[in-house]
Amino acid sequence: MTTATTIEATHDDHHHGPEKGLMRWVKTTNHKDIGSLYMWFAFTMLLVGGAFAMGIRAELLQPGLQLMEPQFFNQLTTMHGLIMVFGAIMPAFVGLGNWLIPMMVGAPDMALPRMNNWSFWILPFAGGILLSTFFMEGGAPAFGWTFYAPLSTTFAPDSTDFFIFAVHLLGFSSIMGAINIIATVLNMRAPEMKLMDMPLFVWTWLITSFLLIGAMPVLAGAVTMMLTDRNFGTAFFDATGGGDPVLFQHIFWFFGHPEVYIMILPAFGVVSHIIPTFARKPLFGYSSMVYATASIAFLSYIVWAHHMFLTGMPVAGELYFMYATMLIAVPTGVKVFNWISTMWRGSMTFEAPMLWAVSFVFLFTIGGFSGLMLGIAPADIQYHDTYFVVAHFHYVLVTGALWSIIAATFYWLPKWTGKMYNEKLAKIHFWWAVISVNVLFFPQHFLGLAGMPRRIPDYSLQFADFNFISSIGGFAFGASFILLTYIVIDCIRNGKPASSRPWEGAKGLEWTLEPKAQYHSFNTPPSRKLIKAESQHS
Amino acid sequence: MTEVLIVIVIIAILTALGFGLVGMIKGGKAGSNRMFKSLVTRVTLSVVLFLFVMFAGYMGWIEPNNVMVDAPVVQK
Amino acid sequence: MSKEQAYYVPDGTYWPIIGSIGVATLFVGFANQMHGVEWGGSVMALGFAITVFMMFGWFGQVVSESTNGIYNSQVDRSFRWGMSWFIFSEVMFFAAFFGALFYARQLSVPWLGGADNNIYTPELWNGFKAGWDTVAFTTPGTTLQSGIEMSVPTQLVNTWGLPALNTLLLLLSGVTLTFAHHALRAGHRNQIIGWLVATIALGSAFLGFQVMEYGHAYYDGLKLTSGIYGSTFYMLTGFHGFHVTVGVIMLTVILYRIQKGHFTVDNHFGFEGVAWYWHFVDVVWLGLFIFVYWL
Repeated sequence: MTTATTIEATHDDHHHGPEKGLMRWVKTTNHKDIGSLYMWFAFTMLLVGGAFAMGIRAELLQPGLQLMEPQFFNQLTTMHGLIMVFGAIMPAFVGLGNWLIPMMVGAPDMALPRMNNWSFWILPFAGGILLSTFFMEGGAPAFGWTFYAPLSTTFAPDSTDFFIFAVHLLGFSSIMGAINIIATVLNMRAPEMKLMDMPLFVWTWLITSFLLIGAMPVLAGAVTMMLTDRNFGTAFFDATGGGDPVLFQHIFWFFGHPEVYIMILPAFGVVSHIIPTFARKPLFGYSSMVYATASIAFLSYIVWAHHMFLTGMPVAGELYFMYATMLIAVPTGVKVFNWISTMWRGSMTFEAPMLWAVSFVFLFTIGGFSGLMLGIAPADIQYHDTYFVVAHFHYVLVTGALWSIIAATFYWLPKWTGKMYNEKLAKIHFWWAVISVNVLFFPQHFLGLAGMPRRIPDYSLQFADFNFISSIGGFAFGASFILLTYIVIDCIRNGKPASSRPWEGAKGLEWTLEPKAQYHSFNTPPSRKLIKAESQHS
Repeated sequence: MTEVLIVIVIIAILTALGFGLVGMIKGGKAGSNRMFKSLVTRVTLSVVLFLFVMFAGYMGWIEPNNVMVDAPVVQK
Repeated sequence: MSKEQAYYVPDGTYWPIIGSIGVATLFVGFANQMHGVEWGGSVMALGFAITVFMMFGWFGQVVSESTNGIYNSQVDRSFRWGMSWFIFSEVMFFAAFFGALFYARQLSVPWLGGADNNIYTPELWNGFKAGWDTVAFTTPGTTLQSGIEMSVPTQLVNTWGLPALNTLLLLLSGVTLTFAHHALRAGHRNQIIGWLVATIALGSAFLGFQVMEYGHAYYDGLKLTSGIYGSTFYMLTGFHGFHVTVGVIMLTVILYRIQKGHFTVDNHFGFEGVAWYWHFVDVVWLGLFIFVYWL
C-alpha cells in the first residue's frame, strides 16, 4: 500500500456524488462522467458520419449522376472518413478506456482528472469546426480523408485551413487522453496488481497509448507543413521549390499506419474479455496475447509505405515494406487462434455481446486476409485505389472496430447503468446488422477486383448490379442504428435491475463493484487475493 | 567518417537525455540522482561535440552548408 | 468525504472549458486572418489571451494546491509520467520536421537532379544540378504552386557567425542550469538563483541573436519562400525558437517559485520537469546546428 494517506483538502466537506445540472458535465473530473460524454459524442458523430455514408450510397445506387454534384460527393466521402475515424471510433475507444480502465486496475479515477476533462471538451469544438466547413465558400474539404498533397494544398478550398486546425485540436485531445491512460495504468494501478495481472483491455489500451503519442504529433507536423505550404509559401510538398508531394504521403502514413492499429488494438482487448466470459473458460494464451499486441504495435511503425506501392518507390523499398507487412499477420494470427482456442470445448452461450464478439473474429479475419492481399506489392498494382480497398478497410473498421464497440456497449451496459437491456431486441438487432453489413460490403470486393475505382460518384454500367446490392445493404445497415439507439435508451430508462455480475462467466475487478458502479470505483485498493481471483489467467 | 562520429555522439547524447527522463519519472532520491548524473553526461558530451564540430570545420573535415554552389541566375 | 480516501481526485473545474474556448477562438481567428477577414486578427488575439489566462489560472491552481500539501507522492508520480510523455510527443513533432529535412536532402532533391536514373529529370528539370542550396536553381520570378513568388537569396547564413555563437550560448545555458540543479540538490538557495538567472539571460540572448539572424537572412532574400531549403530552415529553427521562448517563460516561473521557497532538496519536481524540458530544447538545437548548418 504505497500511498494510503488521508487527504485533507479544502473541499473535504462537499457532497460526494455528482453535481446537478448541465455544469456537472462541463466541470466534471469523474472518469465515468467523462467516459459517458465520450461515448455519447462518439455515437452522435457515428450518426452524422453514417448520414454522409447514406448520401454516398444513395448516389451510387444507380449509375449516372443522380442526386448531387461530384464535388459534393467528394466532400461527403472526405467528411465521412474524417468524422468516423476522428469523431466516432477514436473517441468511442477513449470513452471505453475512461469508463473501464480505472475499474479494471482497481483505481478510484484517472490519474490526471482535470486534463481528462480537457481532452474531452476539446472534441466538440474540433468537431464543430470540422463540420462548419460544409457551410463555407467552396464547401468542405473534398480530397479524401488521407488529404494527399497537392489536392489538399494547391487544389483545395479555403475551408481546408479550418480542417487543419480541427485536426490539430483532435490531436491535442488524443495525446492528452493517451498520456492520461499511461499515467493511470502505470501509476494508479492497485499496488498488488502486477503488469501481467492486468486485463487485456488495459494492456491493449496501454500499448495503444504509446502508438497515439508516437503518431499524433507526426500528423500535427504534416498538417502544419500543409498549412505553411498553403499560406506562407513553403515548399515541403511542392516540387517547384525542391520539395516532393510524396513526402506528404510518407509523413501521413507514418502517422496513418499506427493509426489503424490505434483503432483496432483496443478492439482486440474488448473481444478478449467477452469471449472467455461466454465460453466460460479462461482466456487461452494470456501472455502470448500481450506479446502479440506489443509486436503488432512495434511493426505498425515500420510498414507505412505499403500504402504507397504505386508512388514509384525504389524496388528495394517495395520489397522491404511488403515483407514487413506480411510479418504483421503472425502476431495477428496468434490472436485469432487464441480466441478460437478459448472457445474450443467451452460451454458457450450466445448472448448479444458474444454474438458481436464471435462475428468480430470471423469478419475481422476476412478484413485481415484482404489486407494481406493488398500488402503484396505486385498484386497491389491491381487493387490499389479500387473498391477492394474500400471493402478491406470497412471490414476491419466497421466489422472490426465498430463491432467491438457495440459488443463492449452491450457487455458493460449493465455495469454502467445498473440495468439490463432487452436481450430479444438486441439479438434481432445483431442479426439485422450482421446480415446487412455483409450485403453492404462484401460485393465491394467484387467491384474492386473488377476495377471500379474508389471515390467516384459515377461508374460504368457493368458495376451497376453490385452497387445496387451494396446500397440496399447500406440503407438496411444504416437503419439498424435506429434500433440500437432505442435499445440503449430503453435500457437506461426501463431496463430491469441487473446483478453486480450479470454474466455468469465474467471475470474482472469491475464486476466486484455495485451493479451500477459507484461514482468513485475503488477507494481502497483491491487485495492480492481478489486480483488473483478476478484475473484472466488460466 | 567525421560525419559518422558526429552522429554517434548525437545518439549518445540522446541516450543520456533519455536516461535523465527515466530518472525523472522514477522520482525519489535514486531517480533524482540518476537524472542529475545523466544530464551532466549529456551537457559534457554536448560541449565536447560542439568543440569537435568547430575544430572539424576549421580543419576542413566537414563543410558548412552556407556555400551556394550554383550562383543564382540573377537577371536584374 | 470518507476517511479511506486514498487517492486525490480534484473537484470539478472550469479551466478545461475555458481552455477549449480559448484554443478554438485562437484557431478560428487565425484561419480567418489568413484569409484576409478583417476581424481575424483581433479574434486570434482574444483567443490567445484566453488561452494564456487559462494556463496561468490552471497552473497557478496546481501550484497552490501543491504548496498547500494536498498532493501525495502518487499525484507527484502522475505528473512525472504526464510531463515525460508530453515531452516525448514534442520529440515526435520535431521528428516530423527533421524527417522532412532528411527526406529532401537524401531522396527528393537528388531525385530531382536525376539520381537513381530518374527518367523524368531531363523532361521536367532540364539542367538542374542537385545540391543542398537547392534554392539556387530557381530563376527569380518563379512562383510556387500556392501562387506565392519564390525568393532567391543572394547568400546563405554564415555558419561560423551567429549560429555558432548561438550554439555556444545555448550550450552554456545547459551548463549553468546544471549548476543550478546541483545547487538545488545541495540546498544552496542563493546559488540556485544566480545560476538560474544566468540560464534565463543566456536563453534570452539566444532568442535575441536568433531574431537578428532572421533579420539578416531575410534581408539577403532567404525566406520561407526560398524553396525546400528555406522551408526546412525556418520551420525547424522557428519551432525551436518557440520552444526556447516557452522554456524561458517556464524558467522564469521556476525562479519566482524558488524565491517563494516552493522547492525542497528532496522534492522539486517542478524544477526537474522544466530542467529536462530545457535540456531537450538544448539538444534539439544541437541537432539543428549540426544537420541544418553543417552536414
